[in-house]
Amino acid sequence: MANDIKISIKNLYKIFGPTPDVALEYVKRGMNKADLLDQHNHVLGLRDINVDVCDGKITVIMGLSGSGKSTLIRHLNRLIEPTAGEIRLNGNDVLDLNEEQLRQLRREQMSMVFQKFALLPHKTVLENAGMALNIRGHTVADFENEAVKWLARVGLEGNENQYPHQLSGGMQQRVGIARALVSNSPIMLMDEAFSALDPLIRSDMQDLLLELQGELQKTIIFITHDLDEALKLSDHLVILKDGEVVQQGDPQDILLNPNDPYIIAFINDINRARVLRVRSVMKPHSANDTDYAGDISEKDNLETVLSLSGGDTDKTYRVVRDGETVGSLSMKDLTRALVPSEA
Amino acid sequence: MATYDSLFSALGLKDWCAEGKEDGPMSMADLLAKAKGKNAEPESLWDFPFPSMDALNDSCTAFPQSRELTQGLEQGFLAIKDNLSLVLDPLTQPLSWALDSALYGMLNTPWWIVIPIMLAVVFLVTKSWKLVLFVGASICLLAFIDYYEYAMQTLAIIFVCAFLCVLLGVPIGIAMSRSNTIQRLTIPVLDMLQTLPPFVYLIPLIFLFSVTESKLYGIAIILYAIVPVVRLTNLGIRLVDKDVIEAADAFGMTPRQKLFKVQIPLALPNIMAGVNQTIMMSLAMVVIASLVSAPGLGVLVLRGIRNLELGVGLVAGLGIVILAVVLDRVTKASLARINATHKQ
Repeated sequence: MANDIKISIKNLYKIFGPTPDVALEYVKRGMNKADLLDQHNHVLGLRDINVDVCDGKITVIMGLSGSGKSTLIRHLNRLIEPTAGEIRLNGNDVLDLNEEQLRQLRREQMSMVFQKFALLPHKTVLENAGMALNIRGHTVADFENEAVKWLARVGLEGNENQYPHQLSGGMQQRVGIARALVSNSPIMLMDEAFSALDPLIRSDMQDLLLELQGELQKTIIFITHDLDEALKLSDHLVILKDGEVVQQGDPQDILLNPNDPYIIAFINDINRARVLRVRSVMKPHSANDTDYAGDISEKDNLETVLSLSGGDTDKTYRVVRDGETVGSLSMKDLTRALVPSEA
Repeated sequence: MATYDSLFSALGLKDWCAEGKEDGPMSMADLLAKAKGKNAEPESLWDFPFPSMDALNDSCTAFPQSRELTQGLEQGFLAIKDNLSLVLDPLTQPLSWALDSALYGMLNTPWWIVIPIMLAVVFLVTKSWKLVLFVGASICLLAFIDYYEYAMQTLAIIFVCAFLCVLLGVPIGIAMSRSNTIQRLTIPVLDMLQTLPPFVYLIPLIFLFSVTESKLYGIAIILYAIVPVVRLTNLGIRLVDKDVIEAADAFGMTPRQKLFKVQIPLALPNIMAGVNQTIMMSLAMVVIASLVSAPGLGVLVLRGIRNLELGVGLVAGLGIVILAVVLDRVTKASLARINATHKQ
């Protein structure tokens, strides 16, 4: 159940320019982004994207600016029309929908959170939070309870009657998240939702999102240019470069086995001890293991284990999941994992 | 013999020229030349004439004179005039009714009802006692020097015309903001309305409508004053934050919902700035329109000019300034109130 595929993107291409169909042929024959711009004056937005988004998980799409990540997320609710490819939601191609069905999909299936918040400046916080329901024809009295509940859940109790400009950036984005939650859609698209916030607030918001996700298990597609954020949030990480998927998979796996110099350059700067978890570096359980220095959870990060060991590299820990032994971790393996790999 | 004879003979048009009437109307310059007994032939290269319609007509009488152009335009207009007013007359009749009833209502309601109502409206849109006091003092001053009736006539005309400008201008502005083609087609018309001297479009209007009808000046004022509200509505909607529009799309708003829930509310500060300009321009035009029987302070200004009554002209002019300041302050104050709730 948990691994059911909710959205499946297949062979998606997007080319910007006057005659994208012609340019598509060149791209399919292997022309790269720079040549296409030089010779045909078309911009390659996305090339052959294949991504499966699992139900109830956070899929993070990471890339630098210009890598096409914002373009990609806008294809999911067709704010941008693709040049070629398929986008399947629950098995149905989103591209087959007519205008009315598409509107239905945007109202009921997908909600979106924006980098610049994009709240209605002339409406109160309460009215903004209830925007999705208001669009479906409900009045303030109808959605008030629901909106107040979710505003309180994101920490905005008592701000209901203020206007967005009276709130700080972090609070405005909380309204943005409440707005997406009130719409009660199973899928949330988050376009660099925390990028405009300062680092401390950003970390708070990430915790809030993880907490909410623990309760609600929505299907979240999260766009970011920040690797730390991506590693913190993602169940499935997709790394985009120049409109192409460079690598995708379990974030721990990408960290330990990067397959591209671009990704190595990225991961060199991060704090591996905090990001890597025990389950990614432990050895499978074998019966003859003897003296364990103690028990650790597979979900602990390496930083926790390091502080537990007090820096002693001779120790070996037993890894447990729900009370059962699942493997062992020697401090030597742990230390090795802290050195970035060369691909 | 004239300068361009050789041109027509070279083109082989001599016969066609000969068919032309010899007794075409003479221009004043021709008459003077004839009276002085001068030859039309240029004496040197220095006097060589530009091949204008009149110069060519000198050589070839079949060629039209320039006065025939203006005359033709006039005759053309007179020819379609009857049919045009057959269509336009009933279409614009409500304007006459609106103006007449506004004038009647303002002038036949006693001052002790009209002034409090106006002050109440001022308070309603500005929520400022200071402005109410200022407006009250201004109107009382005008009433004290016995200009109350004229000032009320001017105000009644401005209210009706500005209201109609908004009623017509905002939808035009919305249409322009939604389609680049409509914008391309509309902008030259707006440019023309804005730059054409207001006296010029009074002329065809006088031909089309009777001077005794109030819609004559009503149309002149609306044509002149509608431009800013159209332009600023278009601009305001085009300037609405793209991110908010995208959010509206992403949450599945229909185009109509987007227009009424997002675009118009967010464009409101700009639209109101346009309304302010429209009101000020109607005030400017209502003075000029007194030439075509618009009542109000403009009549006094006109009297000042015609009879050289310096005092009347000056006091009426000052009265217009007072009205302008009142209207501007009140619309600006309500604009500021809208801006306060629209801060990003």
